[in-house]
Amino acid sequence: MTLSPDDPNEDLIASLSDYVDRGETPPAELLNSAPDVRIAYDALTRFRTLAQDILEDDVTAEPSRDDSWVTGILSNIHREARAGRSIPVAHPSPKATLSLTEGAVRGLVRSAGDGVAGTFIGSCRLEGDVTTPGSPVTVNVTASVFWGERIPRTAQRLRDAITTSLLHHTELNIVAVNVTITDVHLRRNPEPPAE
Amino acid sequence: MATGSDERSHLSDATDAILAARAADGDERAFEVIVRRHGPLMRAYATRILGSTSDSDDVVQETFITAWERLPELQDPAATKAWLMRITSRKAIDRIRARRQDQPLADWDLPAPESESPHRLAEASSQRERLTRALGTLSESQRQCWTLREIGGHSYAEIADELDLPASTVRGLLARARQKLMQEMEEWR
Repeated sequence: MTLSPDDPNEDLIASLSDYVDRGETPPAELLNSAPDVRIAYDALTRFRTLAQDILEDDVTAEPSRDDSWVTGILSNIHREARAGRSIPVAHPSPKATLSLTEGAVRGLVRSAGDGVAGTFIGSCRLEGDVTTPGSPVTVNVTASVFWGERIPRTAQRLRDAITTSLLHHTELNIVAVNVTITDVHLRRNPEPPAE
Repeated sequence: MATGSDERSHLSDATDAILAARAADGDERAFEVIVRRHGPLMRAYATRILGSTSDSDDVVQETFITAWERLPELQDPAATKAWLMRITSRKAIDRIRARRQDQPLADWDLPAPESESPHRLAEASSQRERLTRALGTLSESQRQCWTLREIGGHSYAEIADELDLPASTVRGLLARARQKLMQEMEEWR
């Protein structure tokens, strides 16, 4: 440790930091070499724990604010980016071209799924050539169920709700609806309600 | 509005993974829950990196706008919080860069204001409070390195990359920051 002879402590801290930052414990020979080494190491590990806490403290200390920061963000996001493919919808007049976006269909699927008690749909993928009327389409969704729900029964109810909704609102030729339960959720502390 | 009845779950009960997947598919309500859930933490983190609250609202706004655009690329939706923190630190550093356009980044190592004298540190009751005060005695670049490392969990290489400094400089800044903190907290000299 002769890198900066004016401050050997900094070198010691730098080498101890290397261990701490790699998530390793320094060898006992180093820790026991001098009392200062052990004290410095303990302080470094304590700082790490404290660091996680101070951010939470900041959040707690933050005065409650009006909702303008949320609306500011939401009014600045680009919604068009998620429209996806265009799904043709039949119309009696040859002059009219109607279509539904893939994003709208995903919205239908989510809303059908959310109507099943204790569940949330996560992602929704439409597999198949949705742009050609009548081609077979498979719907793959991930979902979360409320802790304690019976998963097979809930998955079946989701599948039924999604199938019914798509039959009702679209002309897609749905050949399968696959539900993968990827998550379990609990009741959280109430958050400010969405307006 | 659903009120948490058994009939229909409230979206704010959903996990980050579910919300992120929905938002990636274009669900704005899910995104709003993410913003509300993590916004205050991102603001606190941005404030820690910036050293003041003056630009932190802008950083939070830019963070979430970028997050919305990049959500479809998020590999592990369960890691949404860590991912948001990364975007936040990047946006905060962009701010600092813009602020300091005239100065090379390596010259950031300016002395901290004198206001946090040791006897004031001793007055602070909790360890956390003492740490916060001790952080006030670090130079800007020491504090930034420390915050990115200890709060953000960035590696030396990532910090070096973000701050445009050699990794060896980052290691030195971190060591000095930690030494200073120990001294300020009277843990070690």
